[in-house]
Amino acid sequence: MREMISMIVVLTVLASVSGGLLAAVKSGTELRIEEQVLKFQKAPAIESLFSDVTNDPLKERFNLDTGETTIQIFPGKMPDGSMAVAFETLGKGGYGGDIGLMVAIDMDKDQLVGARVTTHAETPGLGSRAKDDLTFVSQFNDKSLDTNLALKADDGTISAISGATVTSRAITRAAIEAQTLYNDLKPEIMKQIQ
Amino acid sequence: MAQSLAKEFTKGLWAEIPPFRLVLGLCPTLAVTKSVENGIGMGLATTFVLVFSNLLISLLRNVIPTKVRIACYIVIIATFVTIVELVMQAYTYPLFLKLGIFIPLIVVNCIVLGRAEAFASKNNPVMALADGLGIGIGFTLSLASLGAVREILGAGTITIWGGSPIFDLSHWFHPFTFMVEAPGAFAALGLMLAGMNLIGKK
Amino acid sequence: MEFFELAIGSIFINNIILAQFLGICPFIGTSKKMETAVGMSMAVVFVMVMAGMITWSVDTFLLKALNVEYLRTLSFILVIASLVQFVEMFLKKSIPGLYAGLGIFLPLITTNCAVMGACLLNIGNEYHFTKALMSSFSYAIGFGLALILFAGVRERVNLGPVPKPLQDTSIGLITAGIIALTFTSFRGMV
Repeated sequence: MREMISMIVVLTVLASVSGGLLAAVKSGTELRIEEQVLKFQKAPAIESLFSDVTNDPLKERFNLDTGETTIQIFPGKMPDGSMAVAFETLGKGGYGGDIGLMVAIDMDKDQLVGARVTTHAETPGLGSRAKDDLTFVSQFNDKSLDTNLALKADDGTISAISGATVTSRAITRAAIEAQTLYNDLKPEIMKQIQ
Repeated sequence: MAQSLAKEFTKGLWAEIPPFRLVLGLCPTLAVTKSVENGIGMGLATTFVLVFSNLLISLLRNVIPTKVRIACYIVIIATFVTIVELVMQAYTYPLFLKLGIFIPLIVVNCIVLGRAEAFASKNNPVMALADGLGIGIGFTLSLASLGAVREILGAGTITIWGGSPIFDLSHWFHPFTFMVEAPGAFAALGLMLAGMNLIGKK
Repeated sequence: MEFFELAIGSIFINNIILAQFLGICPFIGTSKKMETAVGMSMAVVFVMVMAGMITWSVDTFLLKALNVEYLRTLSFILVIASLVQFVEMFLKKSIPGLYAGLGIFLPLITTNCAVMGACLLNIGNEYHFTKALMSSFSYAIGFGLALILFAGVRERVNLGPVPKPLQDTSIGLITAGIIALTFTSFRGMV
């Protein structure tokens, strides 16, 4: 009986101390981690898509609450004066999980500026080409917003990366999601930009 | 006292060096040795966990009831692994992404639990610290050397920190890509192990 | 169809031992004899499937709900350790022969990176429940397949004249490398 009590006490104390310690470390590092994610995952995509904008998309970023989640929006003032926004969506069904896609949309022209892969866990040399080699994602450049962005194999307009159909399909899912999301959120975004 | 302390520390650097002599911790060894940088990063992270868990377990060795000791060790080790996870995410993000799933997997690295059970629970904190430090550094050295072999042969470079290689030989010969892939990992470890056996068995 | 692709992917292309380097210690340790290999595979299938289901539920209903995802490592390993303890007690009572045959390897499934790894991969891939279940099962099959293949080859290799420094683990690892090489031929299949 005594043994049983000591076992339970030790385990409980240990678990509580550990839980408390971890919570403390977590809150201490939270801010910094968010900065790192921004810097390494999203910034390269933003810089690639908005290479000639006249403002600072990262500085002027803002959050939008969709009710289900919060989306980070990066505004970009294009060289010809039109306003564009970029945000990240996740395409389900990649080989190694969800694929992150940063999609930039020109709000005045109602067309895509382009898209860049942000995060993925695809097969190196095959699916990973979607991120390193811009041939696939450049198919999204300057496409009007009402284009069917599915793969040609799925009755759309996008050609898949050969040997990486699964990866390509997941990316198109992310692009389509971006289209839907943009159409839903456009009024909200316009309000914030003003 | 100082002599046995030194002994506990140095045994991790040769006589009981993981994973060659102390055949434990093979999973991360194969997975993170594509480059020297990854090997060193993983080695240091493991050393951190090893040192602190050894220390704490040794300090608590008379308090932890025998029947639940494995569960307690696991809680302690998992706590330090989570701390490493969070700190790496905050300060060495690219390395964190490269090591991926193997950082939380430090918790099941047989080396850590093995030393806790075999040594830390039976010795005083100073010795436990020396043991953890020695074995951890030995592990880091092994990972770094295997990483060097695989990286030089497989990519022609050596990367120590920060992503850019300190030298790049890939223009001189066509790198043996087999080495940075899965099969090469097995083969390289096997051959290095044989090499260590050859040197050791004299 | 989606499940079929997942199964092929997890068993052959992303084989948990030969491509993802998870579960190497038991891979080397239980592959010297076919019986231990088979026994270990069966135990792993059982533990991995159950652990996959339970850890997924813990993650979805507890960790994500309470926003404490940083406690994942801690909670997962505790679930796995308890599960293995449970399996040990069960086997000791019901199938004592298998329990004796597995010996020390059974409690070692706790530190088997393959089980913990598969559970973490399910979360990383953001699978829903049935997919996580399917994935755990496929990874376990892949584990068993690699282990049994390896044990078969290893039994034969050990009968031949192996030079002294290469004996045992070394030649085992090199053999594993060759098997891993053959498995890479599965890429691009799906």
